[in-house]
Amino acid sequence: MRLWLAYPVKCGFTELNGCCIYFGYFSMAALTRQDLNFGQVAADILCEFLEVAIHLILYVREIYPSGIFQKRKKYNVPVQMSCHPELNQYIQDTLHCVKPLIEKNEAEKVVVVIMDKEHHPVERFVFEISQPPLLSISSETLLSHVEQLLRAMILKISVCDAVLDNNPSGCTFTVLVHTREAATRNMEKVQVIKDFPWIVADEQEVHMEEAKLIPLKTMTSDILKMQLYVEERTQKT
Amino acid sequence: MSRDGWRKKASEDDGWGGRGGYMAAKISKLEEQFQKDAPREKQKDGTSSCIFSGVAIYVNGYTDPSADELRRLMMLHGGQFHLYYTRSKTTHIIATNLPNSKIQELKGEKVVRPEWITDSIKAGCQLSYVQYQLYAKQKSLNFTSICARGKQDLSSTNDPFKPNPSHPQSDSIKNGSCSIIEEDAERPRVNGIHDGDDDDACALLPRGSQDTSLTNGYVHPVNGALKPQDSFAEHSPHVVDIGSHQSHLPQTESRDREEPSCSSAGSKSNFHQRSLISTASPAKQPGLHSMQKDLHPKPTSNPGTSAAPQKGNLHDQTRVRLNGSYHMTPNSSNLADSSHQPGRSGKGAEAGVISEFFSHSRLHHISTWRNEFSEYVNALQSRRRAAGGAVFSGKEKLKKLKANCSSGSLMAAPQVRQSCILHVDMDCFFVSVGIRHRPDLIGKPVAVTSNRGPGRVAQRPGSNPQLEFQYYQRKQKQYRKEVPSNGVDLDLAALSMAEIASCSYEARQAGVRNGMFFGRAKQLCPDLQSVPYDFQAYKEVALSMYETLASYTHNIEALSCDEALVDATNLLVELGVTPDDLARAIREDIKEKTGCSASVGMGSNILLARMATRKAKPNGQYFLRSEEVDDFIRDQPVSSLPGVGRSMSSKLTSLRVSTCGDLQQLSISRLQREFGPRTGQMLFRFCRGLYDRPVRSEKERKSVSAEMNYNIRFTQVEEAETFLTNLSMEVQKRLEGAGLRGRRITLKVMVRKPGAPVEPAKYGGHGICDNFARSVSLAQPTDSGQLIAAEAIKLFHAMKLDVKDMRGVGLQVQQLEGSHADPSGQGPSRGRSIKDLLLAKQPAHSPKKDPLAPQGWSSVIRTGVTPPSSPPSTSSDPMPGTSKGGLHHPHTLNHVRTCLNVSIEVPSPSQVDQSVLEALPVDIRKQVEQSWRHREEQPSTSSHLSTPPRTSSSPPPGPSLGTLVLQLPNQLGQPCTTGFILELPDFSQVDPDVFAALPRELQEELCSAYRNKGNTQAHVQAQSSAENVQCPSSSSTDVPETLSKFNPRPVPTLAGAYEFSDIRTLLREWVTTISEPMEEDILQVVKFCTELVEDKDLEKLYLVIKYMKRLMQQSSESVWSMAFDFILDNVQVVVQQTYGSTLKIT
Repeated sequence: MRLWLAYPVKCGFTELNGCCIYFGYFSMAALTRQDLNFGQVAADILCEFLEVAIHLILYVREIYPSGIFQKRKKYNVPVQMSCHPELNQYIQDTLHCVKPLIEKNEAEKVVVVIMDKEHHPVERFVFEISQPPLLSISSETLLSHVEQLLRAMILKISVCDAVLDNNPSGCTFTVLVHTREAATRNMEKVQVIKDFPWIVADEQEVHMEEAKLIPLKTMTSDILKMQLYVEERTQKT
Repeated sequence: MSRDGWRKKASEDDGWGGRGGYMAAKISKLEEQFQKDAPREKQKDGTSSCIFSGVAIYVNGYTDPSADELRRLMMLHGGQFHLYYTRSKTTHIIATNLPNSKIQELKGEKVVRPEWITDSIKAGCQLSYVQYQLYAKQKSLNFTSICARGKQDLSSTNDPFKPNPSHPQSDSIKNGSCSIIEEDAERPRVNGIHDGDDDDACALLPRGSQDTSLTNGYVHPVNGALKPQDSFAEHSPHVVDIGSHQSHLPQTESRDREEPSCSSAGSKSNFHQRSLISTASPAKQPGLHSMQKDLHPKPTSNPGTSAAPQKGNLHDQTRVRLNGSYHMTPNSSNLADSSHQPGRSGKGAEAGVISEFFSHSRLHHISTWRNEFSEYVNALQSRRRAAGGAVFSGKEKLKKLKANCSSGSLMAAPQVRQSCILHVDMDCFFVSVGIRHRPDLIGKPVAVTSNRGPGRVAQRPGSNPQLEFQYYQRKQKQYRKEVPSNGVDLDLAALSMAEIASCSYEARQAGVRNGMFFGRAKQLCPDLQSVPYDFQAYKEVALSMYETLASYTHNIEALSCDEALVDATNLLVELGVTPDDLARAIREDIKEKTGCSASVGMGSNILLARMATRKAKPNGQYFLRSEEVDDFIRDQPVSSLPGVGRSMSSKLTSLRVSTCGDLQQLSISRLQREFGPRTGQMLFRFCRGLYDRPVRSEKERKSVSAEMNYNIRFTQVEEAETFLTNLSMEVQKRLEGAGLRGRRITLKVMVRKPGAPVEPAKYGGHGICDNFARSVSLAQPTDSGQLIAAEAIKLFHAMKLDVKDMRGVGLQVQQLEGSHADPSGQGPSRGRSIKDLLLAKQPAHSPKKDPLAPQGWSSVIRTGVTPPSSPPSTSSDPMPGTSKGGLHHPHTLNHVRTCLNVSIEVPSPSQVDQSVLEALPVDIRKQVEQSWRHREEQPSTSSHLSTPPRTSSSPPPGPSLGTLVLQLPNQLGQPCTTGFILELPDFSQVDPDVFAALPRELQEELCSAYRNKGNTQAHVQAQSSAENVQCPSSSSTDVPETLSKFNPRPVPTLAGAYEFSDIRTLLREWVTTISEPMEEDILQVVKFCTELVEDKDLEKLYLVIKYMKRLMQQSSESVWSMAFDFILDNVQVVVQQTYGSTLKIT
């Protein structure tokens, strides 16, 4: 298993003008097609969710000033989304690269790592993705069911500060992907987005001393099985 | 912003003009937008209508479907959607939940659930919103009662308690159905109908036929009583499943109420006593007698009076109390057998003793009668099905009778279809059967007991009745304040301890009770006549009672030999008679045919019917009308409810509850807090007369067991082992009889409590004991006595007991599955081979099928009687001794299946003791020998094959591989733990549907098999490419990838529970009921937690751990704290290994 990390962006927060229309409803029509690709559907849904989740984590864990966040509605619950174009672009690019991995079931974990000034991780939000017991898209209720589960997860994230200690000031974040071994070759060969390379993560960025594990939520649906837990450094300061 | 709508409105009123102006502009703009979007949306969707024209909705809070979706729907169907609420324009408010303050605020507004919209669209017209109203407009009057009716429908009471309004919400959500809450006073205004409380039930069920009853001006005068009869019939389909999670109730109940007129413990002990006396009688078994002499230096056995056994009576009775918990298991008919071992001290070793005993034990017979009658009823039903109709003589007679007096009162019978259950119970069955040919005893106090002497016996040496009595007294004190008198004082040790199985009503007046010791009863009632047991007669009478009932209908559920439930709903409708007429006819019939009187209770459900029987007794009948239920049940003592035993009623007493009326005052949440979620709900429903178990003639067995705790005196370990073997054979017999196989074997042992007298007061009894139990799960369900015995002996040794102190042994087999392996059957869980299932759909598509390979191969054979403990060998030398050889020889499908079920691993010939082999039954011996022969062939065959590694787990890719498939994993250089993977069809051949239908274990096995196959093939591929040889079938490389899409895992379960709530209940019961956790249970929990980690369900793990922490650390016993620490440590290790960090437990 290798760890990949997308280059973090150093953001200045001067321009806060661009506000895009955030998330659309995921398309119902796509699922009625006969030649549906489970992997793609799952990856679409998951990446959409991860985007919301990353924004929310950044907000809840106060990585960026709350001023850059705006309240939006997703999964029928309020969420916070950053308005900063570069940050948004970074998150989108990251997920864009993650998506093919998820499609092929090559990503084991997607980790949002929060690091202190010395670039030692203090918190790791781990989205551990596994295959559901049985893949099928059969029922009409599928989407709303998945939506419910994702909503629950979002709500858990938005209250996770209750179970976590405060972070030291000046934290940054990065996104790691734990891939299965076979995926490494492709990662090196093919850059999904130009000028957005992935590198193997440093041990320093992955390893956390005396971590405590706090499970937040587990979901199992017909197309997706995922659990979210937080690893937190015992001594944060 | 939208959720500020409320405040905004308020502020408008406050005169914030500017803001209001802005808002008005915004609102009108939004409206414009909406109008503009609507046509586009309509175009897109294609299905549009105008059913909602004139309707403007405002969505408040979270709804399902969501606000966006509702907006779209309103666009499509001509309605308006307001993002902001305006009192003047908005016609309806859509919400599923509202806080109390908003409910107050919204008085007079139409607050409707979103289903109104979806249902209206479905119906194609705008339905009346009335049924979909969320809350009533007036102040919160009895929310709960209405809510409860909404989901339970049967509820008839006006709940006196008024919990806070948020309660019903949570209630309805919990039950998965949103019930509409509406008030009576409100609806008449809206509907123009005047009706009582009852029609709420109609109003609350939004769909279907109820609509008509709501709108056609139907007037129902009954107020506060049970729901209207016809509506019940209509509603019942909707409510059938509501109480389904209470399914454990019937079992407990039926056991508990075998003899409703006396305490259940008493009645059970009667059985014990009866059998004891009947089977231990030395006159009958002279050989036994001498045996007893050996063991008891001064035997006092007197063949005439069988005095000695009676003495120990006390134990039996109390034992039932002590062990009461396992008597509640569904198959307790078997457990009840426990104490009837004929007196052969420690001689269980003798072959056939156990089966002989069980075949002679009369108690055993009585306890199996219920099963027999159930089967009788089943047979009747199936016969009728086969014949396409049956003659119901009784029914015909009743029909004629009705025709004859058609002008009479019978015409008054209501034509309304209402469910009606008859509970038929013979009046003091044993007595009335006993005296039916002795008219001289009619009207006299009579008791059925075995004792006919003066009621005094001498004391045996080695026993200490006083001590035991004190012990039991102490025990009893834990349950109730005053010691219940079986009427024994200390000098009574000399009195007869024969119990009274049943006594006549005359005797009952004198204070004699069922279960009382005869000696004591004689003191109370000197003219008490005793009648001996007459088992043959009991059976005859019981059978003719069932025949009588069956002549009316086949909807009978046998409860015991003298008690049955009849679902007369259809019968009454068909005949058009009243329940009373039917009951009278049945009772006359029974009286005529058996000479004994029966009482009949009638009610709309089983619970009420039973309660009515209580009132009907003796020799009467009582029809509990639905409108009387309320008054009737209010005065019933709680102890009359099924499932309310001594400990629960004492707990209820401490809550100042003595009648059902008192119980009705308690809220469901209170009850659930006090008694746990299930029991709480059960009580809540029972005390309102609600019970929705239907009458059913078949009962599923949960376990099969055999148990003996009478006269177990071992001196050597071998004796105990032989005994276990024999007991296993008895279990096998029972399993075979029931056509079942079990997966889990539990060994229960009673061991003399340290300090208890070596010889208990009851002759051959077990005295004061500690109970131990251990269980083991098998890989395959089995009904093989040998396998069970082997496991039982292993368990027995693991317990490390002193055999001399053993007083009782029981074997129980759980997790049952049917064993009727039907070659074309559909049941995947019946030990069928995986391949059968996989190829079931595409038998023609297997060109690679090996013609010689048997089709019925079991793919995995494991768990043996004598594990040969073969070390993983990498040597290519196919030593027979190291191979994990199964019974693999070409056999018919059936034959192989038997092999699989027996799951015997055959050790190599050199390891087998020849004498053991000879002792085996002929057919098994043949199988073993055949397997050896087969094994001998294999090494030689394999040497001819050039590519051995490929053969074991992959289908032979080409003809060059020959026709023999080998099953010798050792040759592969792989660890031999893989077991056998034979001849798997290509993955592409696997039908996903079939795969999905497989039980989880099979899926898992299959997956790992394919994974192994993939590995093997990959290995082969690498090898062959290195050797520059043509790759084997290229398709095989796809397997791992395809497989990754199929990755089923079993959901981790703790004793079968996997929902968190169930697990919680289980844990709570575990911690609260047991003072000292057993190691095995702890390990089970650890295993479960480990599985959760592996299943990547940390959240559940976290919840379970936290819950256990709370429970166990609160527990007063420090053992529990230690147990928790142990569990936590183990779990943390696993988590650490998997995730590199440990759980944060706060």
